[in-house]
Amino acid sequence: MPLVRRDPPGLPKAETATPAVRSAEELGTALGSERDLRGREALLAALLALADASAATALARHLRSEDAGLRNACIETLQAMPAAALPVLPGLLVDPDSDVRLLATEVARAQPTEVASALLARLLEGETHPNVCGAAVEVLAEAGTAAALPALRAARTRFASEPFLPMAIDMVLARIGAGR
Amino acid sequence: MSEAGIGGPPHVLLVEDASLVRLYYRGALERAGFVVDEALNGIEGLERVLTATYDLLVVDVNMPKMDGLSFLRALRGREPGVRAIPALMTSTEAGDGDRAAARVAGANFYLVKPVPEGALVAHARALAGRRA
Repeated sequence: MPLVRRDPPGLPKAETATPAVRSAEELGTALGSERDLRGREALLAALLALADASAATALARHLRSEDAGLRNACIETLQAMPAAALPVLPGLLVDPDSDVRLLATEVARAQPTEVASALLARLLEGETHPNVCGAAVEVLAEAGTAAALPALRAARTRFASEPFLPMAIDMVLARIGAGR
Repeated sequence: MSEAGIGGPPHVLLVEDASLVRLYYRGALERAGFVVDEALNGIEGLERVLTATYDLLVVDVNMPKMDGLSFLRALRGREPGVRAIPALMTSTEAGDGDRAAARVAGANFYLVKPVPEGALVAHARALAGRRA
């Protein structure tokens, strides 16, 4: 009995054995149609191993997916490669689709504090969608610095009549203020 | 031990990753007389429902580790006492497809964020009074 299993000759290699030799774009395309969770994990791991701008772009494309599990998996992978994700973040944070902007705030969460705070303060300055602001404020509760205070105060005024946001912004203003 | 279902105050589990949203929901529901527990994602939510009794779940869609739709699908496949817990799904996604996906996954009702306190409490009261 051999100790090393040998596949019979002529059999095609398993799909999950090939991702490492594909380009990030190909991996990203395959990710969009992969239904098997282990196959999806293999593709995400291959993109994470690349951890470059092309991998980040391939992952960011799936923030538009209808599949919540895929969206969240791509966010988590982008969070695990903060340096690679940084160049795509400014574009995501001004995307015409508010859902993409909202999910991009989660990607920003994994950036260094000063970077995340600056990116999200800039978003807050012009953002009109209350849910996108809510998501940004949620991240600023952890990553917000004093530099974000003017944008937070302006958003507090703009969204004074909205549910949730005034309370959330007041909490973050107090947290940042207490830390000064 | 939870008193859910035996005449005590209704128990609700928030399955939501956003800390400020949890704080907002908790405040609104506690003021309305609910006892509130929290889980940060679908996996924690499943752990909670298997170890305590709840009258209502308030579930977000986008969460790390296990999203809200996967959580509800897993929940509805569990034993009768667990799978019948009513679920109010709240999400930033307002499309017809998003609502349909929530319904198929097992949500009893779907509210689009930001959710006004009055709407949250009204729907929580309505859903907690019955088992799905």
